[in-house]
Amino acid sequence: MEGERPSAAEAHLRTCANCRALVEDLESIRQAAAELTDVAPPERVWVSLRAQLEQEGLIRDASARKSGAWQWLTRPFTAWPRLAIAGAYLAALIAVAFALSGPIDQQYDDYRWSSAMQDSTAPLSAQLNTAEQAGLTSLATSDPTVTASLHDNLAIVDNYIALCEKSVRDEPENEVARDYLYTAYQQKAELVAQLAEHGDGSR
Amino acid sequence: MSTQLTPRNVRPWAAAGLLVPGLMLLAARPASADRLTQHFKVDAHPVVTIHNPNGTVTVRAWTKSEVMVVANRATNQVEVDAEQTENRIDILTRQVSGTANPDELRTDYEISVPEDAELEIHDDAGGVNVSNVLGDMNVETIAAGVDLEDSAGYLTVKTVGGAFQCVRCAGRLEVSSISGSFKLIDMRSYNVRAQTSTGNILFTGSFLPNANYRLKNYSGVIEVRFMPGDSFDLSATSLKGKVNNEAKLTPSSKHHLMPRFGNALFGTFNSGRAKVELSSFDGTINILKRD
Repeated sequence: MEGERPSAAEAHLRTCANCRALVEDLESIRQAAAELTDVAPPERVWVSLRAQLEQEGLIRDASARKSGAWQWLTRPFTAWPRLAIAGAYLAALIAVAFALSGPIDQQYDDYRWSSAMQDSTAPLSAQLNTAEQAGLTSLATSDPTVTASLHDNLAIVDNYIALCEKSVRDEPENEVARDYLYTAYQQKAELVAQLAEHGDGSR
Repeated sequence: MSTQLTPRNVRPWAAAGLLVPGLMLLAARPASADRLTQHFKVDAHPVVTIHNPNGTVTVRAWTKSEVMVVANRATNQVEVDAEQTENRIDILTRQVSGTANPDELRTDYEISVPEDAELEIHDDAGGVNVSNVLGDMNVETIAAGVDLEDSAGYLTVKTVGGAFQCVRCAGRLEVSSISGSFKLIDMRSYNVRAQTSTGNILFTGSFLPNANYRLKNYSGVIEVRFMPGDSFDLSATSLKGKVNNEAKLTPSSKHHLMPRFGNALFGTFNSGRAKVELSSFDGTINILKRD
């Protein structure tokens, strides 16, 4: 985003509409983030984050919340509304985008390509599913109309992802299917961010 | 119960400047349903933000240089905060009780704004209706439908499941949804980007010279209706669905990359002055003559 891009990346951007769009999106997010005012995130964000950090051994117990390290960690998040929460999945989305934006005019080794796709989408998929579960749990007491809509649309997007993945597996060189798969992951990231925003304590 | 609140008779200390300038609390009334009104003087190009989790938001343009907010609360389980900071009005529905059911939290708004107002609306469930507002607009909903009429500017609309309708809209439009359907009627926009997963997309209107129209869905129907005098370069691709076309196209002068999968149609109608891109995964695309 900042500084000069390697010439190979510049060259790739000139020929790849998907990556160009992705870079434009990142730039929009960077600009939007720069204009954000402080908004306190819901408590469950910290709970979820703490649980994950404890699981990964990066912090040891709840007392870490009071530590300087925790304060340092939480401070940047105070300015994170939904756009930025969705942006938290960007690293994984970028990996997916590059995995899905291979050249279209060469023969693929289907097995290797499918493995690469699996490698790139699996971490994102796992992150999103974990966040989805946390979000759905906290949604239990929200407005039932909103809850139902989010549930229904998550099911739609999950189905969309499954069908696109099947298409990409069946026809790895199908650039349209890859584009739709990437879009489906973007939509899921945005929906999971909506879940986070609408759970308990968000009002 | 109908109550008109003004700074003088409701919150004299607010008018006395003890709060931030322009802050008016419209709530804190013991009755159940009620109607609250507030007026704000504004300059040209005011910004109005509305955050209403549950209820309808109706915004109309008028000729006065002021913003009028009428809030109809279902109960006093919610408060309505309306705050003016310089040329910006922020309206927020705030839940007072943590135990209220959604019906008790409903608030419907009728808001009158100058036609050059810029709007930012967030409404989860209920509905958003905006007419004759020419400023830029950003609308986000979950389940609420969004209806715009005679609007212009840079319009961005995002819903999760809510439908979207735009009648006689001009300027630039970006709309996206997961399952919402879109009806874009009698459009005069020079740039339209519409994307939904399972919703239908209907577009009728003028294809302006040098304009871009990009309509995309996963499933559902994309339907574009054209007039004999329209002029556009067309690209229509459905990976697993059909493409039905009534336009007499000539081979396109543009360089389209013919996809190796799915059903695709490329060509120029008249002199191809606008660019129209339609794409679907397994939905049907119809390019039909307009009656």
